[in-house]
Amino acid sequence: MKKEKIKNLSNQFFQEIQTVQSEDQLFQLEKKYLGRKSEFIGFLKSLKNLAPEERKQFGRLANEIKKEITQKLEEKKKELIEKSFDFEKESLDVTMPGRKKGVGHLNPISIVRYKIEDIFSRMGYEVADGSEIETEFYNFDALNIPAHHPARDMQDTFWLQQKIKNQHPKVKREEERLAMRSQTSAGQVKYMEKHKPPFRIIVPGKCFRNEATDTTHEHTFYQFEALVVGENINVGHLKFTAQEFFSQFFKQKVKIRLRPSYFPFTEPGFEFDITCTVCHGKGCSACQGGGWLELGGAGMVNQNVFEASGYPRNKYQGFAWGFGIERLAMMKYGIDDVRLFHSGDLRFIKQF
Amino acid sequence: MKYSYNWLKELANTQKTAEEMAELLTMHSFELEGLEKKEINLTGVVIGKILEIKKHPDADKLQLTKIEIGKKKLEIVCGAPNIKIGDKVPVALVGAQLPNGIKIRETKIRGVKSVGMLCAEDELDLGENHNGIMILDEDAPVGMSIKKYLEIRNDTIFEIKILPDRAHDAMSYVGVAREMAILDNQKFDYDFAGLKLPKKKSRKLKVIIKDKKLCPRYIGAVMEGVIIKESPDWLRARLEASGIRPINNVVDATNYVMLELGQPLHAFDFSQVQEISKNETAKIIIRKAQKNEKIELLDGEVLKLTVDNLVIANNQEPLVLAGVMGGKNSEINNDTKSIILESANFNAISIRTTRIEHKIRTESSDRFEKNIDPNLAEKAIRRVIEILEHTAEAKLEGVVDIYPQKNKPQKIEINLDYINSLLGEEIKKAEVLKILKSLQFKIIGKEEEKTILVEAPTYRVDLKTPEDVIEDIGRIWGYEKIKPQPLVEPIIPAKINQQLFLERKIRQNIIGLGFDEIYNYSFYGEEDVVNCKLNQKQHLRLENPMNPSQHLVRANLVPNILKNIFINLKHFDSFKIFKIGRNYWLEKGTVKEERKLVMANILKKDQDGETFYEMKGAVEDLLEIIGIDKKALVISKIKELNKYYIHPTRSAEIKINEKLIGYVGEINPLVLLKYKIEKRVALAEIDLRKLLAITQTEKKYQSLKKFPSVTRDISMLVNHDVQVLDIVNLIKRAGKVILKVSLFDVFKKDKKTSLAFHLEFGVDDRTLKNKEIDKEIGKIVTELETKLKVEVRQ
Repeated sequence: MKKEKIKNLSNQFFQEIQTVQSEDQLFQLEKKYLGRKSEFIGFLKSLKNLAPEERKQFGRLANEIKKEITQKLEEKKKELIEKSFDFEKESLDVTMPGRKKGVGHLNPISIVRYKIEDIFSRMGYEVADGSEIETEFYNFDALNIPAHHPARDMQDTFWLQQKIKNQHPKVKREEERLAMRSQTSAGQVKYMEKHKPPFRIIVPGKCFRNEATDTTHEHTFYQFEALVVGENINVGHLKFTAQEFFSQFFKQKVKIRLRPSYFPFTEPGFEFDITCTVCHGKGCSACQGGGWLELGGAGMVNQNVFEASGYPRNKYQGFAWGFGIERLAMMKYGIDDVRLFHSGDLRFIKQF
Repeated sequence: MKYSYNWLKELANTQKTAEEMAELLTMHSFELEGLEKKEINLTGVVIGKILEIKKHPDADKLQLTKIEIGKKKLEIVCGAPNIKIGDKVPVALVGAQLPNGIKIRETKIRGVKSVGMLCAEDELDLGENHNGIMILDEDAPVGMSIKKYLEIRNDTIFEIKILPDRAHDAMSYVGVAREMAILDNQKFDYDFAGLKLPKKKSRKLKVIIKDKKLCPRYIGAVMEGVIIKESPDWLRARLEASGIRPINNVVDATNYVMLELGQPLHAFDFSQVQEISKNETAKIIIRKAQKNEKIELLDGEVLKLTVDNLVIANNQEPLVLAGVMGGKNSEINNDTKSIILESANFNAISIRTTRIEHKIRTESSDRFEKNIDPNLAEKAIRRVIEILEHTAEAKLEGVVDIYPQKNKPQKIEINLDYINSLLGEEIKKAEVLKILKSLQFKIIGKEEEKTILVEAPTYRVDLKTPEDVIEDIGRIWGYEKIKPQPLVEPIIPAKINQQLFLERKIRQNIIGLGFDEIYNYSFYGEEDVVNCKLNQKQHLRLENPMNPSQHLVRANLVPNILKNIFINLKHFDSFKIFKIGRNYWLEKGTVKEERKLVMANILKKDQDGETFYEMKGAVEDLLEIIGIDKKALVISKIKELNKYYIHPTRSAEIKINEKLIGYVGEINPLVLLKYKIEKRVALAEIDLRKLLAITQTEKKYQSLKKFPSVTRDISMLVNHDVQVLDIVNLIKRAGKVILKVSLFDVFKKDKKTSLAFHLEFGVDDRTLKNKEIDKEIGKIVTELETKLKVEVRQ
C-alpha cells in the first residue's frame, strides 16, 4: 500500500513537471512535492513510526525517489534558465567599429634594420655603433683614401666648416676636418683600434652624401655593413655569408655574384649581385632581363686599413660588405620613391 | 666613358659579339653602364658628283643641280649654298628612307622637278652638322653607296664605368681592348712598344721645366707645313662615336690619340709661341703661375691664376693651364702653318687641385688626375705625328724630350699560398703564371718557387701590393668559380650593445602606445635656431649644404619634428609620433653627441590640458614597459626652465631616482605660431644615454596582502597654486598605514579646485578597524589644513 502510494506520488510528479513552463511554476511544484508541508515529506516523516524492518525497506525507496525528484527539479531548472535567455535581444552589430587604443608603426627602415640585425645576430655577429660625424682621418685617410685621391669624388661628402684639434697619433695635421660620415665603413677603424681579431661585427647607420635627390637618390640614407676579420678569412667566406644572409632575408634560395669593382678600403673589391628575387634569375622586368640585382659593395679588407687600425701588415685577412637599407626595404615593400623614408609623412609610415 | 665596339674589336682582334664581350667585361673587368646599338639605315644614299649648278628660276635661295651618279644623271633642287661644281656629296635617291624618317619622293619644287635629295650630315645621322650639304673627300668614288664608302657598320656603343683604380690605363681604347684580348685569349698585337720617339732633335723648340716634380716629363714636337682642314670622315666618325666633337684635323688628331692611348695631348700654333726677338725659335716654359697672372681659356673664360697652378708659358705669358685646358692665345686656327705638339706628364695631385680650384673638368684633367704612366707620352707623340703626316700633310721638324727620371716598373713579390688563402680557391701555379703573362707581367724570379717576383707593366700604375696582383689574378680567373665556404672561426658569443638594445626596446614598445616612427634629416637652418631659441649651443655648420635652410647640423630634434607635424596636419587631425635620433654640437673644441627620444602628440580637441596629460601618461607607460620602477619616477614642475620652445606653465621635468632624464610639456604657443601649427602640441624629450645610465635594478616581488584593505574617499577645495603631487606626498607622509592615494575627481569652482581622492589603508597582519582609520584620516586632514591651507569636505 505504502509502496504504491510512494510510486504514485512519484509518477504524479513526473507527469506534472512535464507541464511546467516557468521558474515560478517550478517553485510551486517543488513546494508541492518537497515542501515541508508536502504530502511526500509528510509521508517520509511518518516513516519513523514504522517497525524497523519496514522502515528500512520504505526508507530506502523513499530516499531514492526523493533523489530522483530533486535531480529532475535541478535539470528542469537549468532547462528553464537556458530557455529563458533571449539571445536575440542581446544581439550586437559586430560590424560596428571596435574601440581601438590605436597602435603605432615603425618606419620601414627600422623594421628592415632589425630584421637584418636578427639574422646576423643568429650568426654570432655583434652590433657595433659609430658616430654620424667623423674626422677626415676615420672617414677617409684610414680607409686608404688620402687627400687629393680621385676616389674622394666617388662620395660627395658634406664637410663641416668647423675643425677640431687633432688628437689622433697617426694624423700629422694639427687640425682635423669633420664630415658627415659618407659610409658606415668610417666606423671600421675605430672598432679595430679597440678590438683584436677574430671578430664579426655589423654596423648599421645613417650616412650622408651631398647628392641631388630624386626617386632613387637621397642625401641621407641608412647603410649596413658587415666586417669579419680573422687569420684565414677569404672570398669564399664572403660569398657564403652573403648567400646565407640574403637567402634568409628574402626567404628563398639566393645566389651571389661578385663582379670586379673598386673601393679604396678593399683589395680585391667587388660589386655584389644576388639572383633576382622576383624571377629567381630567369630574367624579368625587375632585373631588366639580366636575372641579377645589384645590391652593394664588398671586398677583402685592404692591408692599409689594417695598418691604419694598428694591426701588423699581412697578419690578418678580412672581408667587409655593405648595402643600403632603403634599397632592401624598397624591394621588400615595393616602395618607388626613396625620399619617402625621411619625409615624416604618416600616410607612408602608417602602412607598415 | 663611351667606346665604339667596332673600334675596340679591331684593336682586340676578337670575333665576339658585343653582347658576349659585354658579359665577359662585366664579370672580369669593368662595370658596363650602357650598351647602345647603333644601326644606321642608309640604303639608297649614294655618292654623287656635282656637274652643274644653276639658279632656280622662281626662288632666290634655291639652286638647280645636275648630279652624276654612275651612268645616270639626276636633276635635284637644293637650298644649301655651300656646294660648288665638282664636289662629291651624298645623294638620297627616290625611294630612300633617311634615319630621320624622311622618305624621298620625286617632287616639284616651285615648278621644277627634283629627283632625290642632297644630304647634310645630320640628315644621315652621321653628325650634328646642318651647315649645308656634307662634302665628301675628293677621291670618293661616284655611285658607291655611302654606307660602304664611309665603312658605316652597325656599331654598339659601350658605356663603361672606369673607376679611379683603372683610369690610368683603361680610359682609353687600347686599355679596354687589352682586357678584351685577354678575356678572349687573343694575342694583343697592337705593338705600341714599337712606337719609339723619333730621333730627330728639334732646332726650333726649347723646353724648360722649372718644376720637375709637377712635370716629370715633357715631349714637344714641331711640325711644319700643316694644312688645317676637316679630318677624314672615318676619324670624325670615331670621335663622334666616343662622344667627342670634331674640330679640325690637328685638334682631332690629338683627341683621337687621347682616346686611343689615354694620353692627353695639346697642340699650339707655333707662331704664337715663337720668341719675338729670335724669329725662328720657340721657347716653352713649364712653371708655376705668378700671382695675379691671368689666362683666357679656349672656352673664353678668363681665369685668375694662383701660385700653385702649373702653366705652360712662352717668354711672356701662360699659354695653357697645364693638363687642364689650352689658352685662346695659342689656339690652332685656319691660318696655322706650324704647330708644336705637347705630350707630357703632370703631377696628378697638382692637376686635381687646380681643376677643383677653378671648377673645370676636362677629358685631359680627368686622365692626368688619375696619375698616368710617363712612358705613355712617347707612344702618344709618335702616334699623333704619324696621323698628322697623313691628315694634315705635316712634316716633322724635330722633337724635344725632357724626362729626367724614368718611370721604372714596380717589382712585387707574390706568394702562391697567399693568393689561394685570400681568394679561397685552389688555383694552380701554371694558371697563375698564364694569367700574369697575359696581363703583361714580367716574371723575374724563378717560376718553380712558391714566391714569385714579378714586374708590373708601367701603364698599370695601380699595381703596387701583392693584394693588387691577387685581385687581377682573381678576376681574370673568375670570381664566379670561387665556392661559398662557411666561416670556421670560433664563435664568441656576441656582446650586446646596451644603448642600441635600449633603443630597440623603446621602438618595439612605443608603437603599442600608438606612436608612429618618424625619420627626418639631420639638418636645419638658422631660422629654426631663431624660432626655437637654440643659440645656447654652438652649431656645426655644413661647408656645402644642399640649400640654405639645411646648413646646420641639428643640435635638437624639435624643429624638424615641428615641421613634420605641420605637414601631417594637412592629412590628420590627431596623431602621435616619435623619433629616436642624435644631436651634435661643438663644445670646448670637441664634438658632442647626444641620443634622444622625442615623442609628440596632437589631439582632436583640447579643453583642459588633455594633450599634456595624455603625453605625460604615455611617458609613464613607456618607462614602465621598459622596466623603470614606478616608484622611482617623478614628474614634477620644472625648477629652472631653460628651453624657450617649451610652454613655461604646461611643462614638467622627468626624474628617475632623482636624476633628470628629460622633459614633458606643451610646445610654447609662440613657437607653434612660427611653424604655423594651430593646435596644441605636447612633447616629451628623453635623453637616452642618461636613461641607460640609470641602474635598472631587478624588480623585487612583494608578497600579496593577506588581509583586505579599506578604501575611504576624501574631497577638498584647494587654491590653484597647490599641486596634486604636494597633496599626495603629504597624505602619504601623514598616514602610516596608507597603501595608495589616487585622484578620481577634479572640477574647478570659482577660484578653487575641488579634488577627490581614494585613500587605501591596510597593514600586513590584520584588517584595520574603523576606529584606527578614522584616527589616520583625522591626522591627514589636520596636516592638509594646516600645511596646505586645504578645505577638506567630508
